[in-house]
Amino acid sequence: MTKKYVGQNISKVDAKAKVTGKADYPQDLKFDNYLNVKIKRAPYPHAILKSIDLKQAKKVDGVVDIITGQDYPDLNKFGLIIKDQPVLIGIGEKMRFLGDALAIVIAESEEAAFKARDKISLEIEKLKVISDPFNAIKKDAPAIHDDIELCTDYISQDIGKQNILVDHYLKKGDINKGFKEADLIVENTYQTQHIDQLPLQNEAGYAVYDQYTEILKIWAASQWLHDTQADVAQALNLNKDKVRIIQTAIGGAFGKKEDISVHLHLALAAMHTKRPVKLVYTREESMISQSKRHPLTIKAKTGVTEDGYLTAWQVEVFGDTGAYASSGPAVVHKGMYHCTGPYNVANVKGVSYAIYTNNTYGGAMRGFGTTQMAFAYESQIDIIADKLGMDPAQFRYQNAYDTNSTTPNGQRLSKSVNTKRTIEEAVKLSNWKGESEK
Amino acid sequence: MEIKLTVNNEKRKVNVKPHTRLIDLLREDLGLTGTKEGCGKGECGACTVLMDNKVVTSCLVLAVQADGSEILTIEGLETKDKLHPIQQAFIDTGAVQCGYCIPGMIISSKKLIDQNLNPSDDQIKRALSGNICRCTGYVKIVDAVKQAAHEIKSGVK
Amino acid sequence: MKKKGRGMATIMFGFGYGEGFPDHSIAEVEITPDNIIKLRTAGADVGQGFLTTMTQIAAEVLKIDPSYIEIVGQDTHQSKNSGSTSATRQTFFSGNAVREASEELMGKLYHYGSLHFNSNHPELTVNNGEIYHCENKEDKITYFELADNIKKRGESLSAEASFFPKTYAPDKKTGQTEKNYVAYTFMTQVIDLKIDTDTGLIEVLNVYTALDVGKAINPINVEGQIEGGTVQGLGMALTEDQVIKDGITLNPDMTNYLVPSIKDIPNFESILIENEDSDGPFGAKGVGEPTLIAASPAVANAVYDAIGVRIKQLPITPEKILKALEESHK
Repeated sequence: MTKKYVGQNISKVDAKAKVTGKADYPQDLKFDNYLNVKIKRAPYPHAILKSIDLKQAKKVDGVVDIITGQDYPDLNKFGLIIKDQPVLIGIGEKMRFLGDALAIVIAESEEAAFKARDKISLEIEKLKVISDPFNAIKKDAPAIHDDIELCTDYISQDIGKQNILVDHYLKKGDINKGFKEADLIVENTYQTQHIDQLPLQNEAGYAVYDQYTEILKIWAASQWLHDTQADVAQALNLNKDKVRIIQTAIGGAFGKKEDISVHLHLALAAMHTKRPVKLVYTREESMISQSKRHPLTIKAKTGVTEDGYLTAWQVEVFGDTGAYASSGPAVVHKGMYHCTGPYNVANVKGVSYAIYTNNTYGGAMRGFGTTQMAFAYESQIDIIADKLGMDPAQFRYQNAYDTNSTTPNGQRLSKSVNTKRTIEEAVKLSNWKGESEK
Repeated sequence: MEIKLTVNNEKRKVNVKPHTRLIDLLREDLGLTGTKEGCGKGECGACTVLMDNKVVTSCLVLAVQADGSEILTIEGLETKDKLHPIQQAFIDTGAVQCGYCIPGMIISSKKLIDQNLNPSDDQIKRALSGNICRCTGYVKIVDAVKQAAHEIKSGVK
Repeated sequence: MKKKGRGMATIMFGFGYGEGFPDHSIAEVEITPDNIIKLRTAGADVGQGFLTTMTQIAAEVLKIDPSYIEIVGQDTHQSKNSGSTSATRQTFFSGNAVREASEELMGKLYHYGSLHFNSNHPELTVNNGEIYHCENKEDKITYFELADNIKKRGESLSAEASFFPKTYAPDKKTGQTEKNYVAYTFMTQVIDLKIDTDTGLIEVLNVYTALDVGKAINPINVEGQIEGGTVQGLGMALTEDQVIKDGITLNPDMTNYLVPSIKDIPNFESILIENEDSDGPFGAKGVGEPTLIAASPAVANAVYDAIGVRIKQLPITPEKILKALEESHK
């Protein structure tokens, strides 16, 4: 039945504000008498902070104050799923990537804040930097975090578990039987890269602290207001109802604005100075300090009969989750759970590891692990079709899910299983002939 | 130092520092926050404005360089509560997602349409090649520019 | 030499948090005496059109022009949790919450309307923001007048709903579970491209997409997701690479980290498959993430089709193409 409003191309309700320049993104807000905030970040990806000297920085004209970990020793770590990221690195504590914050510089002008930030002098003790996840899982690799113990006790003996954030497993049917049934086995390793979500609007925000109500207000983009609120509250030991997060127009996100960015440092600066404070990241700061799409190494082994039916699919997935957990505990194995794509495979086996390194941390980005996995499974599918001499569309179609198919997780798909329709329609739309017209 | 310039048809006098950028003058001193900053290096085009009818990325122009010039920003397009046809076309074609690139896109589009009321796809792509959009995949932005050019042409006749 | 190739990819995406993780969305709808229907949701519009989609769903159920609907509560102190704008979940989760709250409110319109007209539900018509009795269409009361009457009695014309479908945590050792994700979206994409075998440069020509959307609440915005998502996927396939060496990013700017520009975009043709068969509002499924996923394998498959080399490391740069071609000629 035709509907009056659903299914219609109603103009976006916020489009007029956006085409006139009236929509306020966080950096567009204006508060009287506000202060500028800049963050001094780690100079080295893996090091212990020995001392921090603010003398020269504080002499910069226009500097109001500089906050370090010494000023707030009781802060709690934060993070979307696991709280493993420090608000400020204190003396004697470890920086784990270049985005770690060491000091919050507050000044009357942005210029003064930048200048003072660059005059902070540090003494650090460098540690071995682990940038390659395969070095991180060597038995003798140093642990990047020594207080995170989430990995299972049945993890492979071959893997050093000190840098494993989480490990996950898939076991459906009998993988050995599946490979025995196969006439052809295709095995390949796929590698994906670090990607920045690159929303055009960099992280930015304002905070205002009301001394009388003790309510802290933060204006900053968030993909989940109430989660940001809860995380800020727990990290700063505040009651949740004293932390108010107000949404602004959001200049793109794609996963990047799930994580805390400016919020905690703005909160501290606002409470510290009792004045409105503003923090805007540069593009460079955004790229270095905020989440990335996880690079995944995917080892895929696929068994198929000579008439083109999949019998077995095995994957090993290694995800570089970087210095902190962020969405990492959910991303890497979500990729693994999608390892066969939308195809019937009775026998599946998989293992995935999210691995700490000293790289910028991996988090959420559009597709959340399944994007990387699709590169692997859809490459496998075409490689196999080619080896069997089959049309890749036909090969997909005859293995595609139907109602009552089961996923690698064993979930029976009871409704809305339209895989084959999408193949039929794409074949028609593209005038697919099984091979290109070269 | 004091500079004089015309912004959106209004004469302004502003005191700036030697290193103040045009984008800061517009956003901070004049409160015209429709002009956005996305990279600070002239790569993304979010800060595009017209200076003496030339397309510039205002993050790469010093305020003092704009002394005596005429500037057009996104705020200068709307007239008496009526949207400029380019603005309306961006809404109608679904070309707006997060919107952060849109002011710059519309300014670049205006420059193109001012010179060419019948732009081809290639001409549109050339004119907007300095404006990065991360949301839309640009398809509907091309549609918007075409629709706007068509409507302006019909209106002119 | 220029060589053309064509590649296909079919993908699936399980949406919502899944895995037994609590996944709520709460929405409130209120008809106020001042000619506004307030739709209260904390869901974030990151550009995809969340606010518009919710407005359309509420307008459809409440039978009133969308211009009367105003989204409020984008603030932790003014709304309840709508969950995140992630996991391709908002149309399905918040859409259902908005639909249910609106249906509940529709029930109240009938209830209070029947009191007003001293009648019963079957004799009433509720449409276009107005209520009337079938025997006298001239005697109408608007939703807003009714809200005013009710307010005078100290009651309000409002409703709240929470959508909270269950999933179950997978077994730790096997990953097996009865329901891992609330539902799955499927998509098939065909990509045509052209490779310059002298330079290794790839030009993407055409993208054909068939997307299992269930029901497109706003078709043009769904197309926008396909086009925007795919172009991000093409960036992943061809150019984007934040190079981190020994923990240090070597290209932290847009000069050296290359996202697609308007010059890089192909022609798009898309089909929205609308079987209206999911448990989402009006049968809709989430599409945000799935639209990106097929691009990189479809490109890799098209590259193989064009020049017979298989690239297994992303991005597929001209250097990798030339190196692979050189090796294949040995």
